[in-house]
Amino acid sequence: MPGRRTPPGLTVQLERIVVVGHGIAGLTASDSLRAAGFDGELTIVGDEHHAPYSRPALSKAALLDAEEMTSHQLPASTHEARELLGVRALQLDPGLKSVVLDDGSILPYDGLVVATGSRARRLASADPAARRHELTLRTLEDALELRRRIVDKPSVVVVGGGALGMEIASGCLAAGCDVTLASHRQPMAQQLGRYLSEVFLAAGLDHGLRLAPSQAVGLREADGHPLVELADGSRLAADLVVSAIGDIPNTGWLADSGILTNGRLEVDSRSRVRPDIVAAGDVAAFPTARGVGRIPLWTSAIEQSKTAALALLNGDDAPELEFRPYFWTEQFGLSLKASGFLPLEGTPEFLEGGPGGGPALMRWTHQDSSGTAVALNYRIPIPKLRRLANPAPALVETPALVETPA
Amino acid sequence: MEIILDRPRCEGHGLCEEVAPQLMHLDDDGELVLDVVHVDEGQLEAAKQAARVCPVAALRLA
Repeated sequence: MPGRRTPPGLTVQLERIVVVGHGIAGLTASDSLRAAGFDGELTIVGDEHHAPYSRPALSKAALLDAEEMTSHQLPASTHEARELLGVRALQLDPGLKSVVLDDGSILPYDGLVVATGSRARRLASADPAARRHELTLRTLEDALELRRRIVDKPSVVVVGGGALGMEIASGCLAAGCDVTLASHRQPMAQQLGRYLSEVFLAAGLDHGLRLAPSQAVGLREADGHPLVELADGSRLAADLVVSAIGDIPNTGWLADSGILTNGRLEVDSRSRVRPDIVAAGDVAAFPTARGVGRIPLWTSAIEQSKTAALALLNGDDAPELEFRPYFWTEQFGLSLKASGFLPLEGTPEFLEGGPGGGPALMRWTHQDSSGTAVALNYRIPIPKLRRLANPAPALVETPALVETPA
Repeated sequence: MEIILDRPRCEGHGLCEEVAPQLMHLDDDGELVLDVVHVDEGQLEAAKQAARVCPVAALRLA
């Protein structure tokens, strides 16, 4: 029942909703709350000083934008929330229903959206002097700093062979840097599977990428330059080190709240931690067809946030999250879009094109008979890609939602 | 309100079409076509969602 503001099980009317986190998840949740008719007090807490932006763009077009960097900018928000920016949440008391902020203030809420995202993992370093050489790429400031540092075409070691590491390596090479990628796994294999990783690695090497097939285990400084220590005992010298070795969910402020499960912020199929607390985006571990876990991707954050907002307002009457994975990457002249679960085992069926890096439309069928469709250098709208991934029309209609007595 | 497309920015993901198929679609070449430019009140929410979901902000409302 849209518009109703008292979720089942709650005795209080939702007058005040607090959204902690001001990335795409917090923004989408706020928009969705308003769209669903919530006209109460909406407050957003964000530790960054500026408006939300497109994080995927930071490692793609934004690294290549000529003069001004604009690829990351999102349209202005319309939720008219009170925005507390440059402020961090320190603590949650779910009993008192309040959030303590680092400026000393306390925000009471009737409903809470946790969207604090994650932060970049860094290399372990016993040498504090070495840390200034290590960049990560997660925030807008990170991207601006990386852009600034690669202007002089330094030699770069990128640590991590995932999509982010490969995109950074591609951007640095395009900027004229000499780039070595340290990765103990074949780049992109963990994300995409063996077949596609071969295609991406070949494209990278073709663009001048050097590969150090070993795990980075530490960072040192020598003569003012960073040295990346590898598990095989060798060292990589460079002017600059960029680490892309994963992200850590920002759950520290929830440590004493009692809402974490084994250190994780787990939500149900409607993105709820409990009836008055929902969570969405990179911070949340949610149930998917492949188990409970975090899926820190753009469309994942958006879909979770929409579900979370409706669940906060409408409880069990809200639709469950229908998570449909969508992943894309741009690197070394390759543009890939994938609909369906990853990574992919074995070789694909070619719907268009053929093997190699040329334009192709591919499909993999998983053991559970679901599919993943991949477009490589092939423009195709996502609705069509989704239909290719799972061509059989759903035979089971969603049962009509049963009204839960409030 | 009017939907404005910044065509050079569009990467053809089609996430906008997915949330607002009544307003826009990608053609056979993967180019975005705005089927509705001037949105009325009933279409505004879908238009906002379409602009929001675009990872390169190729759409905006004015």
